[in-house]
Amino acid sequence: MTVSRPAFSSNKVAIDARDLGVMYNLRLTKKATIKESLIRRVRRPGDTSFWALRDVAFTVRQGESLGVIGPNGAGKSTLLQVLAGIITPSEGDVAVDGHISSLLTLDVGFDTELSGVDNIRLAGAFMGLDHRLVEEKLPAIVAYADLGEFIDAALKTYSSGMRARLGFAIATSVEPDILLLDEVLATGDAAFREKSKARVGELVREAKAIVLVTHDMNWVTEYCNRALLIEKGRVIIEGSPAEVVALHQERSAARAAEQAAAGVFAAAKPQPVKPSRKF
Amino acid sequence: MDGAARWYPMRARSPSRRPCATLPAVTARSEVPASFRSSSARPGSLALIRLGVRETLSRRRLIAYLVRADLKKSGADTLLGNVWWVVDPLLQMLVYWLLVSVILKRGAGTPDYPLFIFAAILPWKWFEITVREGGSSVVFREKLIKQIYFPKLVLPFAATVSGIVNFAFGLIPLVGMMLLLYPERITPWLLLIPVVAFVQLVFSLAVATALSALNVFYRDIGNLSRHLLRFWFYLSPALYGMDQVASLSGRNQAADLWFALNPWTYLLSAYRDLIYYGQAPDWGALLIVLLASIVLLFLCILLFKRLEPSFAKVL
Repeated sequence: MTVSRPAFSSNKVAIDARDLGVMYNLRLTKKATIKESLIRRVRRPGDTSFWALRDVAFTVRQGESLGVIGPNGAGKSTLLQVLAGIITPSEGDVAVDGHISSLLTLDVGFDTELSGVDNIRLAGAFMGLDHRLVEEKLPAIVAYADLGEFIDAALKTYSSGMRARLGFAIATSVEPDILLLDEVLATGDAAFREKSKARVGELVREAKAIVLVTHDMNWVTEYCNRALLIEKGRVIIEGSPAEVVALHQERSAARAAEQAAAGVFAAAKPQPVKPSRKF
Repeated sequence: MDGAARWYPMRARSPSRRPCATLPAVTARSEVPASFRSSSARPGSLALIRLGVRETLSRRRLIAYLVRADLKKSGADTLLGNVWWVVDPLLQMLVYWLLVSVILKRGAGTPDYPLFIFAAILPWKWFEITVREGGSSVVFREKLIKQIYFPKLVLPFAATVSGIVNFAFGLIPLVGMMLLLYPERITPWLLLIPVVAFVQLVFSLAVATALSALNVFYRDIGNLSRHLLRFWFYLSPALYGMDQVASLSGRNQAADLWFALNPWTYLLSAYRDLIYYGQAPDWGALLIVLLASIVLLFLCILLFKRLEPSFAKVL
């Protein structure tokens, strides 16, 4: 599926990020598990701060679609969280012009004690949608989620597939100006996957600007007209998708070779264990 | 599959939805500004307080939805449902009456002792709920906070407001008890209960706001506050009256200071004046508590707004 981005005459900037930096204070984030292990690798001894992003600057103009790629833990998801306004940058600033919607995860604000319909209303209110708009969209969302009688039952009675369907229906019910996509959305049975893929394609066509985070290089070359490679919180290169994807693949191959040479688990030469610091 | 398009009729985009980059404008379609600027530069204290108040007011509907969701839930999974809200304070009153009047034989000097303590238990229960639910309100929405942006202040506010309904339900057994057992104590002063409740609401909002923010960083706050609340209850004129407080005065400076600074000294006496004594409360003291609570609320909003940027990272 290839999408031709509509050409906008205006050159308006949709997202303007300047010198973005996001710092985590390790003394405070103690219960993170995956994050913590990542942090340990990057952290210099005695340092209690960790920069998940540093000196990131880019602009996304209307009509553009930016793909963000990089290895695990590079800061891609943090970047999306900053663009969505969830995390306030520790350095620099970002200006977003337009109604933004993030399909970061699909169970926005779900309350398991409430019915499906009540959850739609609550999620709409959390997203800041006008309640009249929510009421107007309600039948369409209910129909799209296709839950039958369950729509009036408490969410705790739902299967995970049903939840995902409802979440997807809510998250995609409003066409945003700027769409943030993280990975993509393989939920539910085959039929619903098809349906949701079609809907995402539609949103991608509709949105005036897109930021897409993915590990699937096909998505980047198909949907994006620009790409950004991030490693360890810093921008390595920004350019055309083909160019950036090529560099990314080259670098990850090099890293893999390096790791293989060192022995992936360093079994031969165990590293001296550092005394674990209490955060 | 192109069928998906059918479910979502395309909406014409109004040009008004594209405001300029720095001046967010609320449009008819969304209740919040569509555009925003997120910066590492933190606004000053006054600007933060103003921002906090503004975003809470602009999200009134979200607060209302949260309150309604709360109420739907709290009655949903118990046999008697909302009937518990009526029975709960009655049972609690029964416990204290048994303990103080029957076993310790202390309430004899106070006629109609059950009503005397009920007038204190009712507002205190509301405060307890505020501290418990309000304090955990932000942590409870952990997942949501990491998924979308919304002003987190709505959470402690909603928790406090839904406590009002609980309090209102508690007025049913109060009126019932007075009609059945103490009809001679019914006076028009009862109608002024909402005035005192308003003062309590402002004070509770401040406490819930501060606790909910601190709870994100120190989860022990939940446990700690439970025990502190206990102390606070026994060290406020709930089971005893102001005469006991007065008899202490002059003998212990720390106690004097505590009762003088404790807002619950004034709140509980005001409730008791209206319900039990049927007389005018000390309006001056109440006004001072109200003004102090308003100042405290602003300070707590400031604390909350200062800590808010870290919520998504720490949770």
